[in-house]
Amino acid sequence: MSNRASVGGWLKGKTVRKGGITSNAHTARSSTPQVQSTSSTLFSGGVKDASGRTTEYFSMDDQCPVCKSDRYLNPKLRLLVSSCYHKMCESCIDRLFTLGPAPCPICQKVLRKLAFTPQTFEDLTVEKEIAVRRRIAKEFNKRREDFIDLRSYNDYLEEVEDITFNLINDVDIPQTEARILAHRQENAALIELNVQREEQYVQALKEQEELERQEKEQRALELRREQEIEREERETAQREIIDRLETSTKSAAKVIAKSRAEAMKRSSARSTTTTVLRSNAQLLRARAAQSTVVPDPPHVPLQDDWYAYEDLYTIRDQYDDMYSDAVRKDREGIMRAGGYRVEEAWDRALRCAVAGLDLVPLSGLKPSPGRTDSVVTST
Amino acid sequence: MDAVEKANTARQKRWVKDRKVGEGTYAVVYQGREASTSRKVAIKKIKVGQFKDGLDMSAIREVKYLRELHHQNVIELLDVFSSKTNLNLVLEFLDSDLEMIIQDRSLVFLPADIKAWMAMTLRGLEFCHRNFMLHRDLKPNNLLIASDGQLKIADFGLARDFADPGHKMTCQVITRWYRPPELLFGCRYYSSAVDIWSVGCIFAELMLRTPYLPGESDMDQLKTIFRALGTPTEEDWPGHTKLPDYVPVGQFPRTPLRDLFTAASGDTLNLLSRFLVYEPRRRINARDALNHAYFFALPHPSHPSKLPKPAAQTSRPLEELDGNVDIASAGPGVKAVAPNKLKRKLTSPDGTDLRPLARRLDFTQHVKRS
Repeated sequence: MSNRASVGGWLKGKTVRKGGITSNAHTARSSTPQVQSTSSTLFSGGVKDASGRTTEYFSMDDQCPVCKSDRYLNPKLRLLVSSCYHKMCESCIDRLFTLGPAPCPICQKVLRKLAFTPQTFEDLTVEKEIAVRRRIAKEFNKRREDFIDLRSYNDYLEEVEDITFNLINDVDIPQTEARILAHRQENAALIELNVQREEQYVQALKEQEELERQEKEQRALELRREQEIEREERETAQREIIDRLETSTKSAAKVIAKSRAEAMKRSSARSTTTTVLRSNAQLLRARAAQSTVVPDPPHVPLQDDWYAYEDLYTIRDQYDDMYSDAVRKDREGIMRAGGYRVEEAWDRALRCAVAGLDLVPLSGLKPSPGRTDSVVTST
Repeated sequence: MDAVEKANTARQKRWVKDRKVGEGTYAVVYQGREASTSRKVAIKKIKVGQFKDGLDMSAIREVKYLRELHHQNVIELLDVFSSKTNLNLVLEFLDSDLEMIIQDRSLVFLPADIKAWMAMTLRGLEFCHRNFMLHRDLKPNNLLIASDGQLKIADFGLARDFADPGHKMTCQVITRWYRPPELLFGCRYYSSAVDIWSVGCIFAELMLRTPYLPGESDMDQLKTIFRALGTPTEEDWPGHTKLPDYVPVGQFPRTPLRDLFTAASGDTLNLLSRFLVYEPRRRINARDALNHAYFFALPHPSHPSKLPKPAAQTSRPLEELDGNVDIASAGPGVKAVAPNKLKRKLTSPDGTDLRPLARRLDFTQHVKRS
């Protein structure tokens, strides 16, 4: 697959890493030609662009700082970056690290073969800064809502920037790492929550894009159909005119004018009936944006404590109740089939009897404002 | 001026009528405000003079029950006073109703929205039922939506308390599309299960965005129900053949709900099927419904402030209000159910100003209540 891609690139006259150097690479000596990464197995990472591809930095002046071989000697030279941000060529990496972790020939830090990444930017400090910022953003992902006021949020951002700066410029590394670790331990739950939030947001965005696309398609389809109908209508109208001219005895001008008027009426009627498709996607987008701001509370079945006092009485299965005899003897089953229950009447009677038993009488005689205590009827 | 009159004038002065927003057969509705706080209210003036035998029944019912019910999901009656020969009810001011939202094609419902509306409806209904009250007219346009998104049950014109043992109740209640089969069979002894059937129909309507069981007459309503849910057998619903108005309407097979509600989750369909059980005693009650797994499953019900709202409407035509009691019909409390009186006709998309049954406290602008 990578081969085919490089062939395509070569046909278009682009510089392609493994296909060797093409002539126009020389003309772009001063600029930095960008090359699609072709190594998908061994070296991953690097900075990805929007489509998820890594573009590799490549220049004609490349020279491996370890073995000093350059692009002139080895046209296939490919420089990769170690985790200590030193470059070396693929063959040096193979030579030094195939047998396991080994010290970096430049700074002596112990490195592994898999920790090398392709280079995206000419300036390696940029490369490093991006890696650091990416790492920090993963852990320091608090949002404005997580703070009580703007001040504390700003303090937090300041701290994050501080840590980032330290990591990038190798200032107080152990101390900074300790700070990160402390933060991670303190805010583990919140970090997890924010990660989830972010994922949700991304998901919503994706869905919305999908919907938008579908809607666009649908609208295009509708438009095409409409045009089709319009065209057909025009044709039939013309045919009609000809037919009428053949059969009618009226003057030709009149017949044509009449048919034209009818056609006009039809088309205007159609344009009013075609409803304007409101952009559903826009509405959904508004909803999605909202849903990240106001959280939906979980369901609470009842929001009062009405049933907390249910144990004040127990309802028995049977009462000696002459009024409900008719219902209980209901031979036809009319009341049963209608869903009427004597138990409900009993429940009501009991509830009315016990309701308010635990209230102190005559407290709160003052009528509450806004509520009245008698109904005034007309006289 | 005696003490009662004095109290009445004092009360009357608390409220100011601003403008008329609708008129029905027995009431005129004004938008108004509280004089001291300028909080928006709806003032419903009931025309007493027209009725020879005193106050209209549904006005009495409305006052009787709303005076006692105070709950987040039930419309609040703030005050009652008389002016000249009229009775005035001061009600909470509410922007829109669920029917408007269902019909507004520009709104998109998320499953979480439906869940939130259902939870609020059931909470309000549970509150009515725990206080031994049947609402008997649940339908989307009686579920009003406040500006903060809270749903409130309104229109207690047909409400009554649970009947004492052996007392008959009328079966001519509940708008036909939301009427349960036991009422269609003329049952005079029923229970809170009648409201639950209506909730089931509303639930289905929220998902379908069109009425679930739109029968054209009482007979056709039964047929529509049986066509959708299958004809009940004696096992499904013991004793239903003995009901006063029982007529066999033909055999229809039971089709799984899944066929119609293709996108609904298992929990959703389970709850819906428990709302729409033929045997009233086996129908789920409001409290159990609120504890159903559907409400606890993800997604959580939407926060009320995020629920879809109709776009600010521009000069809606004055709608008839409280037209649910037809003077010419059989008796008080009888729903006007003549075929041409159904509140919503699917065939007339522009019929907003022609709906004789629409009851709506409807106002043209959105207002934040203080």
